Amino acid sequence: MNKPSTFQQYVTLLRKDLQREFRTKDMLSSMGIYALLVLVVYGAALSQTARQFDVLQMSGGLLWALIVFTSLLGLNRSFSHEKENGCLEGIMLVPLDRSVVFLAKATSNLLFLLVVEVVVLPLFYFFFLTTTQPASTWPMLLLPLLVGTIGIAGIGTLLSTITVNTRGKDVLLAVLFIPLVYPLLYACVSATTVVVAGGDIEGVYLNALLLAAGYDVIMVLLSWVLYDFVVSA
Amino acid sequence: MAKDLDKKLAVGQGLDRYASAVGLIGALLSTLGFILAFVLAAPVNGASVDGVEMIGGQMVSNQLLFSQKIFYFHMPAAVTSMVALAFTAWFGIRFLTTRDARYDLRAKLATEIALLFIIMTMFSGEMWERFEWGVWWTWEPRLTTYFILMLLVFAYFILRTAVDEPERRATYASVFGIITFIDVPICFMITRLIPSSVHPVVFRTDSGLSPDMLVPLLLSMFGMFCIAFALYRLRLRTETMAQEVDAIKREIDE
Repeated sequence: MNKPSTFQQYVTLLRKDLQREFRTKDMLSSMGIYALLVLVVYGAALSQTARQFDVLQMSGGLLWALIVFTSLLGLNRSFSHEKENGCLEGIMLVPLDRSVVFLAKATSNLLFLLVVEVVVLPLFYFFFLTTTQPASTWPMLLLPLLVGTIGIAGIGTLLSTITVNTRGKDVLLAVLFIPLVYPLLYACVSATTVVVAGGDIEGVYLNALLLAAGYDVIMVLLSWVLYDFVVSA
Repeated sequence: MAKDLDKKLAVGQGLDRYASAVGLIGALLSTLGFILAFVLAAPVNGASVDGVEMIGGQMVSNQLLFSQKIFYFHMPAAVTSMVALAFTAWFGIRFLTTRDARYDLRAKLATEIALLFIIMTMFSGEMWERFEWGVWWTWEPRLTTYFILMLLVFAYFILRTAVDEPERRATYASVFGIITFIDVPICFMITRLIPSSVHPVVFRTDSGLSPDMLVPLLLSMFGMFCIAFALYRLRLRTETMAQEVDAIKREIDE
């Protein structure tokens, strides 16, 4: 029998995650509901100010706060179910490169996050932005959304692998994740805000996007290299 | 190989014999730096005053910043904390390649030193901010990235306490120490990347520092390096001794 190629291993691991999610709808449903509830909290938080201030200027920040908190919830879950039935040990028994495990897990996390974002974005518009007119450049926000989500999924996969073996893992993931992801968050918020609210697109948007992409490359590469140590510890 | 490593990681010889002396020299140098900052370095021009005003019994057209003296403490402490974090990352890499717990101990101690200097920097920076910018906090780029650095160092210690098995704790801490180091160059470079920052770019060839300012600055920076080094070596010796005592105790119990 031939040894499966690295790509086949990757596809198998990824398919396993997607199949599991397709059957249980565990992560997607909890992340979706959580995101909706955060929107409800925003509704209460903004209820007294909505008439007086320009919600467009805040929309980038609000959207990214929503994404960060929702992804924290999803990342926490992505490894806890691997832990429950000793699935991770099973995967580790297979003679495969550990970085393949990282790539498969990061890809599945990325896909789940993107699905949730696709649902949340129209809802966000529906609840908060129908009274105003977003700038005509708003479709450009998809790019920072993608770049930011890649970074979140990459670094989040490494950190959730660390925290799944610690005490108080839910809190610890937030403690490690939020400061690390801050530069990315900052860049994505500025890129998103400038295309939604209008402004100096060329200067701000491109710079912020470059910063976010650079952060992605460094963080994903570093997580990829370091993953072997973390998962076999 | 193992013997070489043992020799390299030995504690109590050469370096440690002079650690206290180096610490003392560091304290003297940085004190000298601070004193020179007051007697040698010229006051810095601050915000220009509208027209000519009477300040401190003198007619001046722009206000001289006395509080700028904090710079001679603030910046060396910040640089020292960053250097300490570089050592954390370095020892983290060494641990991951050798799996020697002694490197993990060194990484932890380097981070402790970094935390000490980060708190010194934040404290002095906070005073500057209050007196010169008139605010308690602002989301200025350098300030924010340094604040993030502080949170990351806190997270490092929280992570350490949350894992029980020593081997696993050492691996996780090393990995996190290496990732944390990413923020150091970001924090260092941010004043160049985002020029709107209020922090000046100090390290450059045409630095605005005249020799009378550079001398106190370098003296206190060198002094702080010495202090950090001495503290680190002394801490290392204490910890190593504590481990040895523990090992002996366990032997006696058995």
